[in-house]
Amino acid sequence: MQREVGTLPLAPALRARLAAAGFQTAQELLDTGPCGLSKEIGISREEALEALQVVRQECHGDTARAAGGSGATRKCTALELLEEEQTQGFIITFCSALDNILGGGVQLTKITEICGAPGVGKTQLCMQLAVDVQIPECFGGVAGEAVFIDTEGSFMVDRVVDIAAACVQHCHLIAEAQPEEDHGKALETFSVENILSHIYCFRCRDYTELLAQVYLLPEFLAEHSKVRLVVIDGIAFPFRHDFEDLALRTRLLNGLAQQLIITANEHRAAVVLTNQMTTRIGQSQSTLVPALGESWGHAATVRLIFHWDNTQRLATLYKSPSQKESTIAYEITVQFHHCWLHVLMETRCHSIFCRF
Amino acid sequence: MAAKKLRRAQLSQEMCERLSRYQITTCQDFLCLSLLELMKVTGQSYHEVQKLLCKVSRACAPKMQTAYEMKLRKSVNPSSAFLSTTLHSLDRVLHGGVPCGSLTEITSPPGCGKTQFCIMLSVLATLPVSMGGLDGAVIYIDTESAFSAERLIEIAANRFPAYYDSDEKLLCMTRSIHLYRELTCCSVLKRIMSLEEDIILKKVKLVIIDSVASVVRKEFDTKLQGNLAERSNFLNRGASVLKYLAEEFTIPVILTNQITTALSSGPGLRADLVSPADDLSLSEGSSVSGKRDSGYVTAALGNTWSHSVNTRLILQYHDLPTRQKRTSRYVQWHVT
Repeated sequence: MQREVGTLPLAPALRARLAAAGFQTAQELLDTGPCGLSKEIGISREEALEALQVVRQECHGDTARAAGGSGATRKCTALELLEEEQTQGFIITFCSALDNILGGGVQLTKITEICGAPGVGKTQLCMQLAVDVQIPECFGGVAGEAVFIDTEGSFMVDRVVDIAAACVQHCHLIAEAQPEEDHGKALETFSVENILSHIYCFRCRDYTELLAQVYLLPEFLAEHSKVRLVVIDGIAFPFRHDFEDLALRTRLLNGLAQQLIITANEHRAAVVLTNQMTTRIGQSQSTLVPALGESWGHAATVRLIFHWDNTQRLATLYKSPSQKESTIAYEITVQFHHCWLHVLMETRCHSIFCRF
Repeated sequence: MAAKKLRRAQLSQEMCERLSRYQITTCQDFLCLSLLELMKVTGQSYHEVQKLLCKVSRACAPKMQTAYEMKLRKSVNPSSAFLSTTLHSLDRVLHGGVPCGSLTEITSPPGCGKTQFCIMLSVLATLPVSMGGLDGAVIYIDTESAFSAERLIEIAANRFPAYYDSDEKLLCMTRSIHLYRELTCCSVLKRIMSLEEDIILKKVKLVIIDSVASVVRKEFDTKLQGNLAERSNFLNRGASVLKYLAEEFTIPVILTNQITTALSSGPGLRADLVSPADDLSLSEGSSVSGKRDSGYVTAALGNTWSHSVNTRLILQYHDLPTRQKRTSRYVQWHVT
């Protein structure tokens, strides 16, 4: 009630007039009433009424928040958070070593960034996650749906069909080995067509479409409440050309990161972004670093870097609040990302569709 | 989409006029501002501004389609998903041929046969669908003046003697291959920007640019400061327009690139290697082991460009006179 007029979400012109007239707190406004307000600052009665309704809503919201209700700011103890984290699901990647270094899989409500050189397997992992998020709960999954925002045009439907078929087969094998009641019912709805119909794809051609799509994401997720994964494949691509104003780019990227964190938390979804690598030219040598600059490195909670060592693909956990930094080897086979060693590489690698 | 004017985004007339006083006329300008800035220029309250943002976003956001719908659309027309190269082992490795709707890059040392390969693909594209072609015209952007019409006719007559049995048919084929000679980066970019109308007008089913590297490396000397960024800019812009055309019309786009030698002076530059497939000396097998300080060969134009293309074919000499095509398996082929 003692809230200052300048902090209320009113139109700037109106705020300026209120300040000029000498109003300081919200309580003063409410006491004056719409007719008095309209006479004092020279606006119509309807406008004054509208303004007062906004003020009343804000103050009501304030008192509700002060009483400890849920709102934009949440207060809870660390114990409550611990219990929440322990019951939270992970999105498994079907590559056990990768799941291990991530602490169980891709975490919900966090942003995971995957950086890597072209051809190393970032889009493959994203497509796999879009299938894995849909695994029913009785098989250890989160039974969610996926949103796939593609900026580079590298989404391959045929490959997703392969991955989905392999996933369904894998679940069938589990059901046969350890039969349980829910398995049968879950498998009825877990088919390739169903999996494909729950992956929502958006093709964004430039950064304006990407910004627009991220603004509309909360609305979309409210309509499709089962979405547990948002993938943006290629957050770097639209921002790396046609940008003379680097300060604007940093601001837009930070804004994007913030919105994604809010969305991830509100809808209990995991956000996965893929980034490119760029060459940083030093004095005596040049190194490959993730693109989009230093400040972007703060946006993601968990950062994975995929790279090569001769002909072996490696994944390094570069940044994580709970796991330690480690590196594992992985392969891309017909079915999934696998962490088998060289045996499968020779025979299966040629089935990769793109880039190699 | 970005350049969409705000009045087409269904904002009220007075709002559009007010915004144009601040030079905000397109959706892009609107979405680049922060919430507080928007409140200032529109003079609206916080909640109103959020509603406006949603309205403008809805005007530019892409349409949603599920993966299932994409698959259905593809399966309606399976034969048009690839351009078969008629080299069976290559087609097998590529799962059908050069994919439609994405960018394919062909890289090789000089003299390996890139231009010959492109000419052959042009012939294939003009063939009717029953013979494995795309039954359409071809746009060939030539930056090195390496295209030879005589060679084109030679390939067509020798490869498909049964089909091209008369001069008339050969002439008809040559009429559907449109050649543009562009010798500077600027003109190449302008040509790429104007391709959309040509594709619709001439019913084009294949676009070839031979070669991107020669014109870029002539004009941009990456040792000079600032040139690296400008070069990346040019390449990225070209790549995104070409990707849009490839996807919009579901046609293959083929680009050729050159090989460059990167001189290594220690372990640091090793990091520049984008992927082992790009290190062509690795294919020699047993010969090199341990240190490799004398340098290695890799595809030109840097790793930002490597991110832009979808498929990369590398041609090399294995031993004369056979040439090898590398995707991840070795495929041998001859130029006859």
